[in-house]
Amino acid sequence: MLAPVAQVLQFALLIGAFVAVLEGWLHYHFKYHERNWFIPAAVLGTAALVVFAALWTAGGGVEAGRVVSLAVGTALAECLAALFFKHVVKGRHSLPFMLLAPAMLGLAALIAYPMVFEVYLAFHDLKLTTIMAWSRTGDLPFVGLKHFRKVFTSSPLSEVGFWELSLRTVWWTFINVFFHVAGGFVMALLLNSVTRFKGVYRMLLIVPWAMPQVVAVLAMRGEFHSQYGFVNIMLSKTAAWLPFLKDVGVGPVQWLGQHPFLTCTIINVWLGIPFMTVVILGGLQSISRHYYDAASIDGASAFQQFRMITLPLIRPVLAPAVTLGTVWTFNNINVIYLVTGQAGGTEDADILVSALYKAAFAFYRYSYSAAFALVVFLMLFVSSMVWLKWSKGSESLYD
Amino acid sequence: MTESGASLESLRALRLHRRREALKTALIHGALILACAACVYPLLRILAVSLRPGDRIISTDLALIPQGATWASYVKVFTETNFLFWLWNSLVITVATSVAGVALASTAAYAFSRFKFPGAKLGLSLLLGTQMLPAGMLLLPLFLMIMRLRLMNTYLGMVIAYSVSSLPFSIWILKGYYDTIPRSLEEAALVDGTSVFGAFYRIVLPLSTPALAIAFLFNFTQAWNEYLVARVILTDSFKYTWTLGLFDLQGQYLTQWGMFAAASLLVTIPVMGVFLYSSKWLLTGMTLGGVKG
Repeated sequence: MLAPVAQVLQFALLIGAFVAVLEGWLHYHFKYHERNWFIPAAVLGTAALVVFAALWTAGGGVEAGRVVSLAVGTALAECLAALFFKHVVKGRHSLPFMLLAPAMLGLAALIAYPMVFEVYLAFHDLKLTTIMAWSRTGDLPFVGLKHFRKVFTSSPLSEVGFWELSLRTVWWTFINVFFHVAGGFVMALLLNSVTRFKGVYRMLLIVPWAMPQVVAVLAMRGEFHSQYGFVNIMLSKTAAWLPFLKDVGVGPVQWLGQHPFLTCTIINVWLGIPFMTVVILGGLQSISRHYYDAASIDGASAFQQFRMITLPLIRPVLAPAVTLGTVWTFNNINVIYLVTGQAGGTEDADILVSALYKAAFAFYRYSYSAAFALVVFLMLFVSSMVWLKWSKGSESLYD
Repeated sequence: MTESGASLESLRALRLHRRREALKTALIHGALILACAACVYPLLRILAVSLRPGDRIISTDLALIPQGATWASYVKVFTETNFLFWLWNSLVITVATSVAGVALASTAAYAFSRFKFPGAKLGLSLLLGTQMLPAGMLLLPLFLMIMRLRLMNTYLGMVIAYSVSSLPFSIWILKGYYDTIPRSLEEAALVDGTSVFGAFYRIVLPLSTPALAIAFLFNFTQAWNEYLVARVILTDSFKYTWTLGLFDLQGQYLTQWGMFAAASLLVTIPVMGVFLYSSKWLLTGMTLGGVKG
């Protein structure tokens, strides 16, 4: 009986918070609370909100109890908000806090609270066998550090272990970001050196970025199909034309079955180059022609010009893009899951975050994956702190 | 005599130089055309597969317009799958998410841009910090919360799960833009007797329409293309977003390949159009927000 009450309270609080924010907005904009018709309008508005919420959640099988509690919660919030705004909010910082309140409430409810909940989960035992009891009573057995120990000793999936996953993640991030930046540089330099059709090239080159990622990845996955994919068709055709290549080992490859990591990497490199190209091109165009003219008069070679002019001047644009790209690549579940994620899929391409996702939602090991997530979070946190410190240090060298 | 010889010499050198330049340009264009082909080819292949007749959907044929091309796959997408449901669900969820996200971000960014208050700097860096959270970390508690609130398979649940994911980015973009609007405009309005909120609502917001549009577009594309959260929260095929529908079409049988291709193309073309049209502003917005500290 306790659980539904707590649940209903939670829900009422959520609605109440929403109403309070709305109230604040109305108050600041129109000074509603000082008008005569405020009370009737508030009551009408509450009624409308309740009816709307009732209709909205009707499909989800919501009982009358929740609707009533919703009404009570809303009315309560109305009164509290009215009192609050009339008497309390008069401080110096009240306006910025008012403006921030909606976003902060959202972030608190959907980022801060889940973080706390995650820690709670990691120290308790929630799995497929205890979840029914949990949703009835809300109680979970406390298990202490058990799950944290298991993170390092057992596999999140069925075979691959934590350390192997970590190493693979580092490798995955490094190799992807490297090829993104290198490819982006090549494309941007090429684009920057032509005058005709530049717009057309630029538009076509960002197609992989512009396509919805799900479509792009699934389409590329199809091209790596062992029999009907473009890659293998071309490989077998090449081998048929030039038989001597066959002896070197050119021929159809079981991309998805035997080399899933390579396949994922190729697809992700293909996906990520356009972003870097556009960023670097923007940087290149902002570098004045005069530097290069001066350098070539002084007899600098093309490589020297690139090394001494282009690279340092593009750094302010490139550095945030690389940081962003590193975080995105580290966190890239999409490509790996979409390529290998079907039931019974391989584990040879998984990185930390994709293993985390699969452990939670394919293997239903909730508490374990909560502990796993916290460990990954800690690793990421420490390494980004080190990175920040290091990049700040090297920045001061440049300035 | 010597003069004409020298000019002949220099003419020859010039011609050689020009020829070398022309060769270089041709090589660059060749490389660019190859790269463009690599970028566009998968899309063209989808087009080819979607046009194939039913008995030849699986084949090693590489022709861009297959023999006996038909629209049959497009018809089948609408008649044999829940494609229209998926599109509608995606649209409702995405629009609701984007409106909520932009509304929340617009006021919060204004607070960060115009006011000095304790915790402003910390708040901004915490916002960036949320981008560093491992993907999927918050999904588990969110999923459990949504399950306990009985919001699985509902639009509301999806909107709740999506609503703050693009918030940090939107706030940064909008703050960067607000910073470029001169304060004197608001001060004039204040002198004329509006409230601070009135100045924001009547002057700053209308002036920031481009930035608001960028933030809206960013939210929209993020939510529209999202897959992993939807996979967890939506289990009923009628409630699927189009990404889930497509994955299931592609995943199960090779025979549905034609329908998958047709549906992909139908979804991709409008999205790509909007993206290509807005990419310039999207990027300036992103770098503006990212570079300005």
